[in-house]
Amino acid sequence: MELAIDIHDLSYRYRGQKRQALQGINLQVQRGDFIVVMGPSEAGKSTLSECLNGLVPHFFRGKFRGQVIVLGRNTREHSVAEMAEHVGLVFQDFESQLFSTNVSLEVAFGPENFAVPWEEIDVRVKRTLALVGLTGMENRTPASLSGGQKQKLAIASVLAMEPSILCMDEPTTDLDPISKLGIFAIADELRRNQEMTLIIVEHETEEALKAQRIVLMKEGTILRDGPATEVLREVDLMEEIGVQPLQVPLFFKRCGARDLPLTVEDGVEAFQRRGWRIDEAAVEALRRQDAQRAQTYGDVLIKVQDLTHQYPGRVDALRGVDLEIRRGEFLAVVGQNGSGKTTLVKHFNGLLEPTGGAVLVDGQDTREQGVYKLGQRVAYVFQNPDHQIFSQTVYDEVAFSPRIRNLPEAEVKERVKEALEAVGLVGMEQEDPFSLTKGGRERVAVASVLSARPDIIILDEPTTGLDYAEQRSMMELVSRLNQQGHTIIFVTHSMWVVAEYAHRVVVMKDGHVLLQGLTREVFAEEEKLRQTFLQPPQIVSLSNQLGHTLLSVPEMVQCTRMEG
Amino acid sequence: MDPYLYLDRDSIVHRLDPRTKITLMLASFVLGLLFMHPAWSLLALGVVLIHGAISRSLSNLKRIWFILFMLSTMGTVLWALFSKGATPFIGPIKLEAFLFGLGSAIRIDTFIIAGMIFLSTTRNEEMVLGMVRMGVPYRLCFAFSTALRLVPTITSTAYTISQAQRSRGLDLDSGNAIQRFRKNIPLVVPTFLSTIRSTNVFAMALDAKGFGARPKRTSYLRIGLHAADFVFLVIMVILLAAGIALWAMHFGRIPGLVKF
Repeated sequence: MELAIDIHDLSYRYRGQKRQALQGINLQVQRGDFIVVMGPSEAGKSTLSECLNGLVPHFFRGKFRGQVIVLGRNTREHSVAEMAEHVGLVFQDFESQLFSTNVSLEVAFGPENFAVPWEEIDVRVKRTLALVGLTGMENRTPASLSGGQKQKLAIASVLAMEPSILCMDEPTTDLDPISKLGIFAIADELRRNQEMTLIIVEHETEEALKAQRIVLMKEGTILRDGPATEVLREVDLMEEIGVQPLQVPLFFKRCGARDLPLTVEDGVEAFQRRGWRIDEAAVEALRRQDAQRAQTYGDVLIKVQDLTHQYPGRVDALRGVDLEIRRGEFLAVVGQNGSGKTTLVKHFNGLLEPTGGAVLVDGQDTREQGVYKLGQRVAYVFQNPDHQIFSQTVYDEVAFSPRIRNLPEAEVKERVKEALEAVGLVGMEQEDPFSLTKGGRERVAVASVLSARPDIIILDEPTTGLDYAEQRSMMELVSRLNQQGHTIIFVTHSMWVVAEYAHRVVVMKDGHVLLQGLTREVFAEEEKLRQTFLQPPQIVSLSNQLGHTLLSVPEMVQCTRMEG
Repeated sequence: MDPYLYLDRDSIVHRLDPRTKITLMLASFVLGLLFMHPAWSLLALGVVLIHGAISRSLSNLKRIWFILFMLSTMGTVLWALFSKGATPFIGPIKLEAFLFGLGSAIRIDTFIIAGMIFLSTTRNEEMVLGMVRMGVPYRLCFAFSTALRLVPTITSTAYTISQAQRSRGLDLDSGNAIQRFRKNIPLVVPTFLSTIRSTNVFAMALDAKGFGARPKRTSYLRIGLHAADFVFLVIMVILLAAGIALWAMHFGRIPGLVKF
């Protein structure tokens, strides 16, 4: 049978770059295969996707060597538009690939270009919207959708072209955990029913379990290419190159087991079969630590009273939220797409004002203080660092906040030094912030709010778009800031980050607080979390099924007794 | 915040063929241009407003009233100051000049409101399809609609960026003119860079969705001229003919006015 994709000795270097984006890639993909491509940042995953429909070499300029044959067509000899009929590509930046004025026209755009008759377009629009769960939103403007819905729309708009090969570049970064699995389920269904070949670039490992084959990349080369069940068991290698390993096999590996289960169910079964047990005393000690930590918090810094917020002409984004945040807390705000997380935290620094109820910071109404005044106490790091960086050097960027408050230059210098030390960017003062990696720019963004010496730091999705190693180092940084006395509030979809770093969790659903409590207590309520489209990380599920809630692999190892 | 002017409503004007809507807009411009005297330009404005009421799109006036107000006030004052007439009015301003200023302000508002009604009732895609059917090449139409689309995209990016910078202590409202100008740098640089970056992805996405793959494309949006289109076009022709006749008969002019 003819191969879907046949890549020989592919190397590529973008013009003006010294580094090879891809080097000596050989990859053969059968029709109907489901492949997940994993790897740290700069591994060449996106470049590889862009080779499949000919964007590389036609759209980008650079040095291309080797051969990419897709469904018998050499990509060098066919235009991107020609290839597009066979290879659908969903880009990572989903906002920029939507350009129609309503949802159904967005989906129709691709088929229109291929002169598909009206009746057929109509069928496809309805079918693909139903598939991704956007039925009923046909007339909405894409701009009015939530991040997760936009991501689903971007996928639908490519599916409607009915490509034989579908390639998605990190298609689930903005989705809540259950919707993430939903996208993978859709993909799997397409492959089974329509023999579509699927290639998904992803760094979330739990989703990769559904794939048949995993390609592990690093620095432009393929490190491993094998059945998913085999590659996922190479937990040490994955950790080493900065890809998050699955927690269940990682746990068993850390306990010295040879055959590694991959799923929670298999994990429970293996745990019991081996006669292992959870040490109650050790779990109790962890609980005591949680309680002791909660005792150390100071007075109430933020008090939210019956807060309601309504955006003009829309339903209530928040209704009746009550919340207290104490000095020194490390609080995660989680919830489904569109549940009001960001709306809530934007009230804490005065970016939004309550339409009902009140928010008090230090006992004073935020409406009386305003963003400028509050900004000295409450810092807000936006999701996308590129929405705030504008200076030519890291130093100037970080100095912006103290300078705008007219502090003497000696004081500015002192604060910049302190902020750069905190984020680990000492020595980079004269670098151009735009030349840094996403993780580096994120650090600059954090440093640039630290220089205001705030008490409270709010971070909106601090780990989105970072690879596992970068996510870890970002959260270690945030953790250190918390230990130094900053109160931390962060919004996130990443459940393992919540489990391992947050002290307390607020779960939002449809504009109100569904659940709040210490992280361990909240994750014990697995059923309730699922109702709001959240799913605990593998290790938490595993421990829950064994009767106790443990939050990380080290905790699980610590509490497991293997002797008789 | 929805940056588009388009209102998804089911009015008789919304259902018109885009070609009709384009023609109506152009006719409104002509009608607005015909008369200089404010009483007469008010008449043209009235016709446009009735059209707006039928299309249920006047609620968008709330979004542009400030621009309309500023342009008409400034326009009235400046035209009145720089034109000449015979009859004394207030201080150095002559009555004819004042009438001309007022009339011109109303004309500008008429143009803007006619444009607003068009954008409130016509989707970007409809506009493209309408222009294509009127013989304009598709690529040109698409480029035009992309330019229009870029405005709301930039607005919403700029809004996010201004929130981020205000959080860092940027206070746009204080300081003298030069200081305020300098304060915009933290807004302009990220907006510019984000726009360039997203435009690049946009271009890739267009290619990846087969833009220009076939010489002819189909359209999911269906347009066609129906009875209502002809009714509107006939009314338009009558109004336009009447307007031109009145203009030819020297109605709506300001005797004694000397323009600058």
